[in-house]
Amino acid sequence: MKTKTKIFSPFLILMGVTILLPMVTMLLTSFHLDGDGQFTFANYTTIFTQAYYRQAIFNSLGISIVAALIGLIIAVLGAWAITRLSAKAQAAALTLFNIATSFAGIPLAFSLIILFGNDGVLNAVMAGLGSAVHSPSIYSLGALILAYVFFEVPLGILFLYPPFREISRDWQEASLMLGANRRFYLIHIVLPIVLPNLIETLIILFANAMGTYETMYALTGNNIATIPIIIGSLMNGSLNANIPLASALSTVFVLSIVVLVTIGNWLTKRKRTLQTVAVATKRPARNRHRLLDGYPVLMRGMKSK
Amino acid sequence: MTTERKWSVGILTMIAGLLLLPILATLIYSFATNWVKTILPASWTLKWYGQLVTNSDFLTATINSLIVGAAAVVVAMVIFLPVIFYINVFDERLKAKVRYLMVMPYAVPGIVLVTGLVQIYGNLPIPKLIFLILIITALSFPAFYQSLDNVFMSRDFRGMFEQARMLGERPVSAFVHVILPNIKTGVFVAMLLTFTTGFSEYVITNIFLNGDYETFKIYMYRLMKANGNANSVLTVCYFGLLILVAIILMKLSGKDVKAGK
Repeated sequence: MKTKTKIFSPFLILMGVTILLPMVTMLLTSFHLDGDGQFTFANYTTIFTQAYYRQAIFNSLGISIVAALIGLIIAVLGAWAITRLSAKAQAAALTLFNIATSFAGIPLAFSLIILFGNDGVLNAVMAGLGSAVHSPSIYSLGALILAYVFFEVPLGILFLYPPFREISRDWQEASLMLGANRRFYLIHIVLPIVLPNLIETLIILFANAMGTYETMYALTGNNIATIPIIIGSLMNGSLNANIPLASALSTVFVLSIVVLVTIGNWLTKRKRTLQTVAVATKRPARNRHRLLDGYPVLMRGMKSK
Repeated sequence: MTTERKWSVGILTMIAGLLLLPILATLIYSFATNWVKTILPASWTLKWYGQLVTNSDFLTATINSLIVGAAAVVVAMVIFLPVIFYINVFDERLKAKVRYLMVMPYAVPGIVLVTGLVQIYGNLPIPKLIFLILIITALSFPAFYQSLDNVFMSRDFRGMFEQARMLGERPVSAFVHVILPNIKTGVFVAMLLTFTTGFSEYVITNIFLNGDYETFKIYMYRLMKANGNANSVLTVCYFGLLILVAIILMKLSGKDVKAGK
């Protein structure tokens, strides 16, 4: 069909030129040494055997898991709370959290330094109050995770709100009438229904934290090695620039996220099949698309994390 | 107020409070001459605002970011809008496939993509700014798509489009005159979010263009290292922009609800 070709060619060319081609190049480059055309696995061997890179992978995983879990817990509370507001207030709250996902990167890092830094506002206020308590160091691991929580929570809320909204109040009334208590209702009725969404959201939050560069770079420079920070420093054109090694790290990154998303899809698909049998409730049609379900209406595209 | 209502308001107040705390601190800091050992700054000033606004780097960085944001909007309108219209109105099966692009920003964050970009386009004679704009447009696709995800449900757009075609309108003209006026709120939201994505981009701009093209965020990073007071003003400007976008979106979402019912 001619119209279809006309409409899709520019789109496919754009995506090919900006996403596909760079990714293929990244993959090919990862099998060469810097300045050498020979095929080799050396970059991958380096990543998985040298302590520095292993530590970076470990750091990335650790920070991301903790940030995603904390983000998820707070987001569950937040998303639930929004569903209890009036329709108008719900829309307003969602818009605010949607915009809050842009509150990341350099502006977030800078304002956290203003707040918690050594010469920061919190220390000034504490001193003003005559207190000897000092704010915790903004450059510690705990503070870094706090920084991640700032953009993970709004993102989690945007993903969890749509499924939470589908939980009908009638179900609670019905189960309470049938003699169930609140705890039974939450664990045996609500949890099985939202569990796939919780898993999906956790995966998205984890992947989002894994790819965080801007916030981390603005807060600590290259001091704490994570996968994105190392890629950044290898790309920077400085003395230790090594694009093939950066490409290998990037390939490992993309593959692990793809594997994770696939496992997530498989898990939630199984859960949903079971649950369709267990809960004879009409599932909202939008839940068929698995990982993309809760994708918020006004989701930001690329966030500057 | 029921206890449930009280809890929910309490939780949201705490989350919003946590998110707003650094912004509030930065806002007050931007008006302070100095703030060392007092609950509020010892004295107030507009000095940092004056310093920033009269700085030519500030103007350059803002204009550079505006260019990237606006250009991304134009490219997205020309390339994405027809595709999104087509898959929503004519081809639902294709739509299910396009949805998989939504995980793209998570699987391929900017810092990963840039490794390949530098390799292929780093040494071409074509200005890198053109590639940057195309890349940012591509990355804003999920936001653009999502803003328009629900707008095609409200009416029979297929029928409208086909009738206009039968009346002799050419496809582009039928789209612009018949379809576009009916989806303009969604399109505006999509444009706004694409613009914000372009305006705020940092990682790719910085590494791919080697810092040669100073955008708002790159200037912010430089200023952050050099002058905290001035940078607090810049950060406040950025938050101001985000809040402005939020207010516009809120006004529009109210309009959508009315139009949809």
